[in-house]
Amino acid sequence: MRRTDKNRALPRAFAFAAGLAAQLAVAGAYAAAPAAEALVNTKCASCHTAKGEGKWDRISEGRRTPEGWDMTVARMGFAHGVKMSREERATIVKYLSDAYGLSPDESAAHRYIVDRTPSVVEHFDNKLIGDTCARCHSYGRIAVQRRTEADWRKLVHFHVGQFPAIEIQAGGRDRNWFEIANGDAVVELGKTYGFESDSWTKWKAQKPADASGSWRLVGHKPGAGAYEGTATVQRTGDDAYAVTMVLRFENGQSETLKGSAIVYTGHEWRATLKSGERTINQIMTLADGGRSLSGRWFEEGYDAIGGTLRAVRADGAQPAVLSVQPAALKAGTRSRLVINGVGLDGEVSLGSGVKVLSVAERSADRVVLEVESAKDAVSGPREVKVGNVRSGDALKVFQRIDYVKITPDHPMARVGGNGGSMNKVPAQLEALAYTVGADGKKGTADDVALGAMPAAWSFDNLNKVAAEMKDAKFAGRIDQNGLFMTNDAGPNPERKYKTNNAGELKVTAVVKDGTRTVKATAPLIVTVQRFNDPPIR
Amino acid sequence: MKMKTTAAALAASLGVALLGALPATASAAKDYLVTAARPNLVFVMDAKERKVVKTHTIPNTSLGNSPLTLVPSRDGKVAYVIHNRWETVSGIDLDSGKEVFRAELSGGDIRGKSPFPMDLSPDGKELAVYVNPTQLLPGEYKVMDPYIAIYRTDAGTDAEPVRRLKVPRRVSTLAWSPKGDTLYAFSWDMLKLDPQTGAVKGQHPWRTWKNGDQGEPDTLAVWPQWEQTNVFATPYYVTHANKKPGDPSALRAGIWSLDLETDKVHFKEFENAGVVLFSTVVNPVRRDETYTVYTQLTKVNTKTGKMDRVDLDHTYYNVNVSSDGKELYIGGTQGDIAVYDSATLKRLGNIRTPGGGDQVLTSLRIFQR
Repeated sequence: MRRTDKNRALPRAFAFAAGLAAQLAVAGAYAAAPAAEALVNTKCASCHTAKGEGKWDRISEGRRTPEGWDMTVARMGFAHGVKMSREERATIVKYLSDAYGLSPDESAAHRYIVDRTPSVVEHFDNKLIGDTCARCHSYGRIAVQRRTEADWRKLVHFHVGQFPAIEIQAGGRDRNWFEIANGDAVVELGKTYGFESDSWTKWKAQKPADASGSWRLVGHKPGAGAYEGTATVQRTGDDAYAVTMVLRFENGQSETLKGSAIVYTGHEWRATLKSGERTINQIMTLADGGRSLSGRWFEEGYDAIGGTLRAVRADGAQPAVLSVQPAALKAGTRSRLVINGVGLDGEVSLGSGVKVLSVAERSADRVVLEVESAKDAVSGPREVKVGNVRSGDALKVFQRIDYVKITPDHPMARVGGNGGSMNKVPAQLEALAYTVGADGKKGTADDVALGAMPAAWSFDNLNKVAAEMKDAKFAGRIDQNGLFMTNDAGPNPERKYKTNNAGELKVTAVVKDGTRTVKATAPLIVTVQRFNDPPIR
Repeated sequence: MKMKTTAAALAASLGVALLGALPATASAAKDYLVTAARPNLVFVMDAKERKVVKTHTIPNTSLGNSPLTLVPSRDGKVAYVIHNRWETVSGIDLDSGKEVFRAELSGGDIRGKSPFPMDLSPDGKELAVYVNPTQLLPGEYKVMDPYIAIYRTDAGTDAEPVRRLKVPRRVSTLAWSPKGDTLYAFSWDMLKLDPQTGAVKGQHPWRTWKNGDQGEPDTLAVWPQWEQTNVFATPYYVTHANKKPGDPSALRAGIWSLDLETDKVHFKEFENAGVVLFSTVVNPVRRDETYTVYTQLTKVNTKTGKMDRVDLDHTYYNVNVSSDGKELYIGGTQGDIAVYDSATLKRLGNIRTPGGGDQVLTSLRIFQR
């Protein structure tokens, strides 16, 4: 038999075409567990021997996030020829995520890889695993899986069989990669990310939470600032919901998002919502027995553009202060201050040096005040109290902005578009302001983060080579909300070497503090497309 | 653009050569370049005329990947090329375009892939291919020991290896000595194998190379282009432990070469590592001169360390040299093979390959007819 498959690459487009929630939402309802188990037997058991009681060779020796399962199941389609409809794929992914998922604790430290937080510099929990594996993909991709040691070993064998250059690539050719990966690294993987865990055993024993009801939410979108709003969640099936969210931004804009959500593994909230022409994917965690919801959302196709969100039950839940807008007050100023929360009732207190002048508006979920901060107010966090409800340190008072940091610390953007298969990947930057605290020293424990501030944004070449290559001329442009958008992909005939529009830039944010200005810079790397961009990188 | 596409489509649909036979007499010996390109094309070029004279298609292949290593026979009649997701080797008759040899590296439940290393015996009778096999079991893969498959080149289109040689993992190059008595396998060290038995007769140190304060040198040698000299050469980077961190001379670049005729190794560091270096060829006339490409063309005298360098108009991966040592041919990307003067490093012209497909990871080889 000739091992020739001219069209093997085609179904990959289907595999990674849309967010998980989107494909499930399009697919409609997935089958219930008994039918799903039967479907796994039909689709998978010809290779993965069924052992009964919801166990199959290899399948039941690993646990993953919903995205992790979807990548595995999709690969069975494009690499091994398993034929599945969208509905069947959705059913299998839902079933396996519920049966073999990760508890909230197990993925908490590596949510960034699941929710596609941009420009994260990873920390390796285990150096050998990092050195062996994270030269090609993220460390987080490993850390959101759990497998038996034997199954980790089989994964190593799969890598060598599937990626034949793995042993001669940089980071592979300088060591006996297969022997290390198949030996010590597998032992470490089995110890660090083994299949069995108390956390998972406990989580599996819990009764699944119901997310339906009304919610109060707050959040932050880099580039647009803080927002608050509400959500209505209606149950449409087992772990399936219809969702409406209203987001009101501090810049006065508001939007209504509508769509559907599915909760996998009892906590992995995946929603796909439409706001006009835009599609928003939410990757969040349902916690506290269904009383809180938090995570990240982003625009489909542009996951660098998005925000964080935190929501609590608005219906009969415990009162809470969720956020204060603005989150920082300069000493000696008068401001309009909004407290967002639920069950807000009683006297408002903003801590020392901040006086409530008047109450402009008030309801159970929102209090609008005129406030004044004293000229001599001490820089630092303030507890916001409404009646008996305390906020922690939701409000900060500052005498002056002492320094500014650009975030992300190591931003990266990617060229794209221009008729190619990959979108541009912008970098959304923010200027975070700080005061140095009582010790007067920068970078110490008493420094107070004041949050993102409006800034004047600009960029230049990062270094001598960048200047010679005129990177700043070709790489892209930045708007005054800190959004850096790259230029088109592909060889640029105007550039030396006809090189693409990649570049090494130094981006500068200048923040005003009264009549002073405070400046920060950060390197911004504009690089090439990531042509292989799976749900978990 | 449209014409190129049409020509490629025509070539692909007919599967035949577009032009007449190549000259067959030795008296008219000319340099011909041969290379491959995505998705399934083999090109023969008249080097001096700067034109593509043959476009052949590799039959029955995966169209998703670039062809890999290409080895022409010394008489320039057949080019052997790894393709089909690295799982097949085909010999393409360069006159007729006919597939005259085909070896499937995969079969049954074994997936065999050759990640670059392949060479012909000097008499052209045997083809050595390094194979990484994986057993595809139900529900899992099992990595097996690699081997070198030796095929007879007259085995036709259903070729099976006549012998299999044991070999370590991580081989990136196979190079057959001109006398035929040694098959070099570039693994962690440059191994000297008996081509009949696979016995390791010796090695040139690479990982085990001790040289003052230097650390382990690094190279990715996947571009066979030693046919004009029988000298394998590759750029390398090496750290020097005695240098302070941040000292630019802590990471140096050099050229490492192995004379496949005399079994002699030569190396020369020539600069602090500052630019990317992909592959190197040695001048057949001025044999101390080497040429290395990426976004620059770099000439290094490996005796003196003297270096000349010009910027290129785009990135190139591979480089070869004319029989008289006067012209350099550089290729790899953008369907564009540029011609440079080896003495002055001045650009002399270029050859555009039709079809819009890049060479990517394949080889740029030269033969005389």
